[in-house]
Amino acid sequence: MNRLKTSPLALTLLAALAALVFSIVITSIVLSISGFNPPSTFQAMVDYGTQPDSLVNIINKGTMYFLAAIAVAIGFRMNLFNIGVDGQYRMAAMLAAALGGAFALPPGLHQIVILLAAMAVGAAWAGIVGVLKVTRGVSEVISSIMLNFIATGIIAYLIQTDRLGYQPEGSDSIGTHPIAESGWIPGIPFPGAREGAEVYGLIVLAVIVGIAFHVVINRTRFGFDLRATGLSASAAVASGVNARRMVVTTMLISGATAGLIGMPELLGTAHSYSLQFPTGLGFLGIGIALLGRNHPVGITFAALLWAFLDESSQILDFNDIPKEIVAITQAAVLLSVVVVYEIVHRLGMRWQQQAVAAELAAGATKKAEVAS
Amino acid sequence: MRRAFKISAVTLTSAMLAFGASACGGKKVESGSGSGGGKKTVKVGLAYDIGGRGDKSFNDAAYAGLEKAKNDLNVDIKDLEAKKDEPEGDKVQRLELLAKSGYNPVVAVGYAYAGALGKVAKNYPNVKFAIVDDASIKADNVTNLVFAEEQGSFLVGAAAALKSKTGHVGFIGGVDTPLIKKFEAGYVAGVKKVKPDAKIEINYISRGTDFSGFADPAKGKTIAEGQYDKGADVVYHAAGLSGVGLFQAAAAKKKYAIGVDSDQYLTADAAAKPLIITSMIKRVDTAVFNFVKQTSDGTVKGGPETFDLKDDGVGYSTSNAAEIDPLKAKLDEFKQQIIDGKITVPSK
Amino acid sequence: MSTTTRATERAEQAAPAFELRGITKRFPGVVANRDIDLTVRAGTVHAIVGENGAGKSTLMKTLYGMHKPDEGTIRINGEQVTLNSPSDAIARGVGMVHQHFMLADNLTVLENVVLGAEKLYGIGGRARKKIVELARKFGMRLDPDRLVEDLGVGDRQRVEILKVLYRGAKIIILDEPTAVLVPQEVEELFGNLRELKREGLTVLFISHKLDEVLSISDTITVIRRGTTVQDGIDPAAVNARELAQLMVGSELPVPELRESTVTDRAVLEIRNLTVRDATGRPVVDDVTLTIHAGEILGIAGVEGNGQAELVEAIMGMRAPDSGTVALDGADITGWETRRRRERGVGFIPEDRHRHGLLLESSLWENRVLGHQTRKPNVKGPWIDRAGARRDTERIVRDYDVRTPGIDVSAAALSGGNQQKLIVGREMSGEPKFLIAAHPTRGVDVGAQAAIWDHLRDARAEGLAVLLISADLDELIGMSDTLRVILRGRIVGEADPATVTPEELGSAMTGAQGAADRDREEGR
Repeated sequence: MNRLKTSPLALTLLAALAALVFSIVITSIVLSISGFNPPSTFQAMVDYGTQPDSLVNIINKGTMYFLAAIAVAIGFRMNLFNIGVDGQYRMAAMLAAALGGAFALPPGLHQIVILLAAMAVGAAWAGIVGVLKVTRGVSEVISSIMLNFIATGIIAYLIQTDRLGYQPEGSDSIGTHPIAESGWIPGIPFPGAREGAEVYGLIVLAVIVGIAFHVVINRTRFGFDLRATGLSASAAVASGVNARRMVVTTMLISGATAGLIGMPELLGTAHSYSLQFPTGLGFLGIGIALLGRNHPVGITFAALLWAFLDESSQILDFNDIPKEIVAITQAAVLLSVVVVYEIVHRLGMRWQQQAVAAELAAGATKKAEVAS
Repeated sequence: MRRAFKISAVTLTSAMLAFGASACGGKKVESGSGSGGGKKTVKVGLAYDIGGRGDKSFNDAAYAGLEKAKNDLNVDIKDLEAKKDEPEGDKVQRLELLAKSGYNPVVAVGYAYAGALGKVAKNYPNVKFAIVDDASIKADNVTNLVFAEEQGSFLVGAAAALKSKTGHVGFIGGVDTPLIKKFEAGYVAGVKKVKPDAKIEINYISRGTDFSGFADPAKGKTIAEGQYDKGADVVYHAAGLSGVGLFQAAAAKKKYAIGVDSDQYLTADAAAKPLIITSMIKRVDTAVFNFVKQTSDGTVKGGPETFDLKDDGVGYSTSNAAEIDPLKAKLDEFKQQIIDGKITVPSK
Repeated sequence: MSTTTRATERAEQAAPAFELRGITKRFPGVVANRDIDLTVRAGTVHAIVGENGAGKSTLMKTLYGMHKPDEGTIRINGEQVTLNSPSDAIARGVGMVHQHFMLADNLTVLENVVLGAEKLYGIGGRARKKIVELARKFGMRLDPDRLVEDLGVGDRQRVEILKVLYRGAKIIILDEPTAVLVPQEVEELFGNLRELKREGLTVLFISHKLDEVLSISDTITVIRRGTTVQDGIDPAAVNARELAQLMVGSELPVPELRESTVTDRAVLEIRNLTVRDATGRPVVDDVTLTIHAGEILGIAGVEGNGQAELVEAIMGMRAPDSGTVALDGADITGWETRRRRERGVGFIPEDRHRHGLLLESSLWENRVLGHQTRKPNVKGPWIDRAGARRDTERIVRDYDVRTPGIDVSAAALSGGNQQKLIVGREMSGEPKFLIAAHPTRGVDVGAQAAIWDHLRDARAEGLAVLLISADLDELIGMSDTLRVILRGRIVGEADPATVTPEELGSAMTGAQGAADRDREEGR
């Protein structure tokens, strides 16, 4: 936000564009070396990625990526590296799914209970990290990574048929008991898409989360404290921010948001937490938050770009092009965006300093004139 | 400002150059939609689970069947791989892509496709689908290719008991899924048939939703060493890639091991080779080939199709002649008894 | 030092040690160097004076090869050179002693000197012999085997000089060497410098303290706004006032208070406050202070004697181990920083970049910092952007913060303007008590005068101020009451009306009266 403000907007947009072009160039080079035709490859990706079915998938993936990135960005804005978003959302999705599958409630209430449970579990799991940091000085990076592993273990332990697990007859998949229909959230039909391909109903929630994030961070006292801590922890403390409480609170909020990551899929299509439930979204969120500069609008574009690349990579496989090419594109985007934004930031600073210097010089001449 | 502009102008230009340079060569790429249907040839699609081609086991076996179909039945084939940690939507999309592009039949390898296939099969009633290792999806146009792993495991269990000097053998499962439990059940029954008082070590590498047990050779090795140290002298694994660890332990301890899925004697390291008595063979290739053949014949049926000892859908390998030949007579006798129904092998 | 020896040296001079012509160095937005001309004769002490931000440091970096000038030529001993890096400079016999020491505390004097120059005389007996010889030659009393962490500031500085000499320097640049020293140590340093000169070395001495400059240097160059105002001034021909006017282009402001405004109403009362560091050693030791409304209480002390910890304890950023702090009669010892600030504690921190500003944030956001629970910055839980912006405009106007607008980031402002913004911010919201730690450090003369004015005005309106400063003139001139702190203890008080900087300096090092007993560590 600050950076956006301190550098001309056009420059920032140009930077994002430059990063994208750069990554396309890199990808083209890799494709050419591997003996594929870059323009037709990109054309195929775009053609495939803009089909209605693909768009539904892109929006749905993007929704989850967006939530993951916001969860990460909350921590990033105060220099808190919540690498544990992954474990937090998996724990949250699993326990919320188990709770939602355990009994049926009237529609409306059922969903709310599941969502609140997910947020509570995510917050609790992240809260451990915060408490460890402020009471024992454990780096949040280390503890949250460890908690990711512990979450994997706990989930595996709990999803056994004699505990929370449920195994459909004749299937080797295992998961929680399916949530009754009263707890589902219907999808939103998408024009032109095949039957059954619908946009997650919870995309609405993602939009709300994005707006809330922006408002809280930029317009509230709490958000100010959070940003101040991120920009300079020592200055924030001197200004009266209670650093410890800030760490715990931020981890709780980040974790609660992380708890929502799996909800669109859980309540929209999966209806149970099983082996097929997507994992690793927390780590994707880190990259997307970076790409989106921790800003909700930036993150929206970054999440959709990521989802588009993921989705359109399917067509590469279909044409016998290794879809790992897309991973190269994604990495190139991330890398160049970091570099380009830094350049833009410096240019912006320079521009400002020049403006200030000009102001001072003008002031000095004015004084001199008055004196003479 | 101006500098940044210059930079991006430079990148753009070089992008164009790269485009221009590459426009001369390189394969053209299709976008997938509507490119099917033109020719009359049968096109067979196959979607892998994580791991894909080159796993020297399950997925490779499926590909072998597909390739055989291509050669023997003169069909076009297309195989698509899955990504790690992908959501179900991707699997749906993959099956859709194949069905939509005119691939019929379509084979989904692995039970991870169950949910996705359930959705896609409904939308393409005229496409014949098959799913390997899953019996939970029931539809007229879905054939469930399942195996009597317990029967094959019974035979290698008998082999282990016959080979064991200590009367003490072991089993390592990758993850405690029902599928792997079938291997265990058959194996235990086979061992007990030969040596009713034999001791059997049973360990699983991971549990529940933690699937790392299928891809953790280090843990596989540790567990195998533990079993050997306790006195077991033959260990059977059903643990995917983790089985590599078993073979390493066997080579180090000079004890016997038994492979799984495909004939692992052929692909193991030289040090472990002579110690791999046999492997429990699961003919995914046969299943895939048969399914493709039946669809082209028009004889394909929906619902479960079980591959067992009777039709050589499962079995044991004999490439390590030095070790297995002395046991063959006895094992084949058991095999006949199972086929005849004189021995009923438990699957749980 | 007599004029006759100076005359002899002048007669002896061959090629100048340093000769700079038309040096220009540009940085974006900051005053760097423009057309600097400088001639440093060999075997002299040459002072470069200028106020903060005049471009002295930029010039020094050019001389030491830390960056290359955009224009102009450098000659060393008559030979035109291009210095690409400090090692080029060292190879040509130029050494530099930085303002901030670069020593490894856990190594001995010997090890620190040899570190990085092992090739010269090895690391054993030869190196030791060389060090002892150098120390004797230049009249420095240094035990090569003492740990640097046990040394005082003056001794550390001598180790830095020794490092430079050990590397064979014939021209030594000293960047603000007296900033960290008390007057007695300054005298010792000057003794060392005279020894260096006697041995034929050239010393380039950078300072803005004019009395010192006049007492030690043979020649003075004044720079202002990045360019030389006058080169080759004879110190005998000018006085401090004239130099100062050359430096600032106008008259110097004087720190002074007029009539007393001290009341008998105690605003801040500190009772037996003790703060211990991680090892349990008291860094603030049983401090008792009372500051009344309308009173400025100055704390004199060498840096690192507990001032920072005292400030942090008063601000609530550090929990005291015992003792109480009361504000307006209320015991605030257990309060959080924010509550203290809300109750009317203002804070001008010693390190404005670390504790006073969000450098990357806009000015109006910096206006909110530290006041994020109070009007006009907030309405309930919401930040009141309009209110904060309006009030920032007011501060910019009233405190003469030179900026094109309130949306630029704080980092874009010069140090003086940043400080004016902080002072303006901390003066708003009607504080009862203000901590002013080094309020004019690193700001230009104009800003200094303005800040002093604001302090005086607030004092007249009944503000209680705790003033901490390393500038003894400021401390004496601006305080109603003076206390001396040494190793965390208040060891004495002084009457600002009568005390001289020298007397205060003695008290600060404990060289006087009761404090003598604590001196043993100084050895």
